[in-house]
Amino acid sequence: MKKSKNPLIRILGNKKWQFITIPVFAFLCSIIAITLIILLIGKNPGVAFHSLLQGSGILPKPKYAAHKGIITDFLEMLDMLTPMIFAALAVAVAFRAGLFNIGVSGQMLAAGFLTTITIGYSSLNAGLAKPLCLIMGAAVGALAGCLIGFLKYKFNINEVVSSIMLNYIFQYIISYFINTRYVDPVSRQSRDVSATARLTLQNVSAGDYKMKLPICIIIAVFAAVFVWFFFKKTRQGYEFHAVGRNVTASKYAGIKVGKTIVLAMTFSGALAGLSGVTYYMGYFSSIQPNTLASTGFDSIAVSLLGNSHPIGILASSFLITVLSKGSTYMSSTAGVRYEVASLIIGMILLFSACGAYIRNTVDRYTKEKGAENGNNNN
Amino acid sequence: METIIIDGLSFALPIMIIAVGGIYSERSGITNLALEGLLGFGAFSGGLFVALMSGYFAPASPTLIWLSFLIAMIGGAIYSMLHALLCIKFQANQVISGVVINILSVAITGFLTSQINTSVFGKPSDKFVLSVFQRITIPGLSKIPVIGAVFKDFYPFEVLIIVLIIICWYILYCTPFGMHLRACGDNPQAVDTAGINVNKVRFIAVLFSGALSGIGGMCFAYSISTNFSPAVYMGAGYLAISALIFGNWKIMPTFLACLIFGFARSGAYQVVKYMKLSSSFSDLAMTIPYILTLLLLVFFSKNNRAPRALGEIYDKGKR
Repeated sequence: MKKSKNPLIRILGNKKWQFITIPVFAFLCSIIAITLIILLIGKNPGVAFHSLLQGSGILPKPKYAAHKGIITDFLEMLDMLTPMIFAALAVAVAFRAGLFNIGVSGQMLAAGFLTTITIGYSSLNAGLAKPLCLIMGAAVGALAGCLIGFLKYKFNINEVVSSIMLNYIFQYIISYFINTRYVDPVSRQSRDVSATARLTLQNVSAGDYKMKLPICIIIAVFAAVFVWFFFKKTRQGYEFHAVGRNVTASKYAGIKVGKTIVLAMTFSGALAGLSGVTYYMGYFSSIQPNTLASTGFDSIAVSLLGNSHPIGILASSFLITVLSKGSTYMSSTAGVRYEVASLIIGMILLFSACGAYIRNTVDRYTKEKGAENGNNNN
Repeated sequence: METIIIDGLSFALPIMIIAVGGIYSERSGITNLALEGLLGFGAFSGGLFVALMSGYFAPASPTLIWLSFLIAMIGGAIYSMLHALLCIKFQANQVISGVVINILSVAITGFLTSQINTSVFGKPSDKFVLSVFQRITIPGLSKIPVIGAVFKDFYPFEVLIIVLIIICWYILYCTPFGMHLRACGDNPQAVDTAGINVNKVRFIAVLFSGALSGIGGMCFAYSISTNFSPAVYMGAGYLAISALIFGNWKIMPTFLACLIFGFARSGAYQVVKYMKLSSSFSDLAMTIPYILTLLLLVFFSKNNRAPRALGEIYDKGKR
């Protein structure tokens, strides 16, 4: 293939690096679009982006309250990031097997609630309570996921329908129990979990700073690496992939499709459960009745933005969390409404959804160029 | 009993019109998870229209109300073009596109509502207030025992929805266009061979889903809170998707699924009220429609089958 004159086409046309250059190009396009929008409402886009990054602890703010600093902001952002990584991984695992887990929110809620009332309100010591929280959360999530997989395998119930139904069922039942038994009369939410069970350490002093320490972020990163290993190196992981690509061919190859579907949903549910406990017992310490966490729905987009690849998901969850975390600070300092942050996220997703189109266009362009050059040489 | 029918219908019918939109899109082969976003954007355009024009009309003028439905329909259709463009022209994954449309819709409408309220009307608020849509009763028919409740205290938009459903049913099953549309979802290559533009048919199908969802969204904006606010995103789009999958992508079974939903919901409310239970029990009662749906699915979904080419980007070269 001849090298094109246009440097943009040359960079984007490089097959080897397309998996990274195309998303970056899409991201830059969306930043340009957002810049135009912010200019249109008469604000300074530079200030807006700068304060977004300041709010999420990437860049230093001009002044801080006592015991606060860039490190505390950054750790708070990581605190928000942890459940997002787990949730996006949950979506990716199901997606790998051709299943669409739209019920991450419901599984999160179920895991968060059951773990809160059993371990969160118990008086176990920290060394026992924290690992138990994670195990319990994963187990509850896995059960909920398993149910969805089983309904699909046994009764041919579309997983989208059953998980939407389960979302509502969990939401209402749990809201009933919180309102009748576990409610805090002041906040109208469930009572706070004990500090020993909470998965994010509060008020850790280091130097002059008092910060939150989201210890589970390490487990989240580890989980992403594990999922990558599972997809890439294990037989079961390959079977997920095979079933996701072609059910009939997998059947002929001797893969037990039903078992794979149930397993994939169970695995996905377990990750969603981990997301639930780190959300309701780490980032927050209580559950608001009658609401599903938006993390569960956002994670679908985050997972797809990361191309359903575990390492890509680490990057995309980081990006999205930075944007949403910084939005409050942006609206207070730059005077740009915090809704703009979700607009930015939407734009990024919109442009990255067009990745396939950009790739095809570039490929066609390089091919035409190549053909033209070939003719000239003749 | 009467209240069960009245409330059940006013919940089931808007869901149904959204689901019909979904059926159009999905039968043509375009997965449509975007219904939630489409209905929100439709309701937003209708709400904006009312907010801008209410000065020129008498309060609660029926013309304004019906015009707002028309605008909601147009708004939903225009917004759905984005989904159509992404899925057809830009070859995006249709699931991704749907999710993006939903997220973007919440963001755009939320942003524009507060922005327009501050800069045009000079009051910080996140909603557009609509006028009350009067319920009507047909004098004679409403006296019939039990069934009469259907003709009592209903919103005029319910009639509109039923008429539209019949028209949509006719178009989908009795016209050449409907046949092409259904064929696009099962075997697009065959449709292309017959000399029909697959992408054009799919584009129109997605526009239909946008327009119908817009109407559904406007109904919810009127019936739930008589204003447009982000509260309109309460999951009706997802309910419609499950109804249409429950109904096996066919209009009549989907209608049945919506009715079950609506009546189970209003029935559960009435039971709580009748037994004078505390309000927290209504949470428990609210699970009944969803549990019932799951149970029914256990018995009835053995033969469910999605359109064969659903979710696939049309590729001329593929056989």
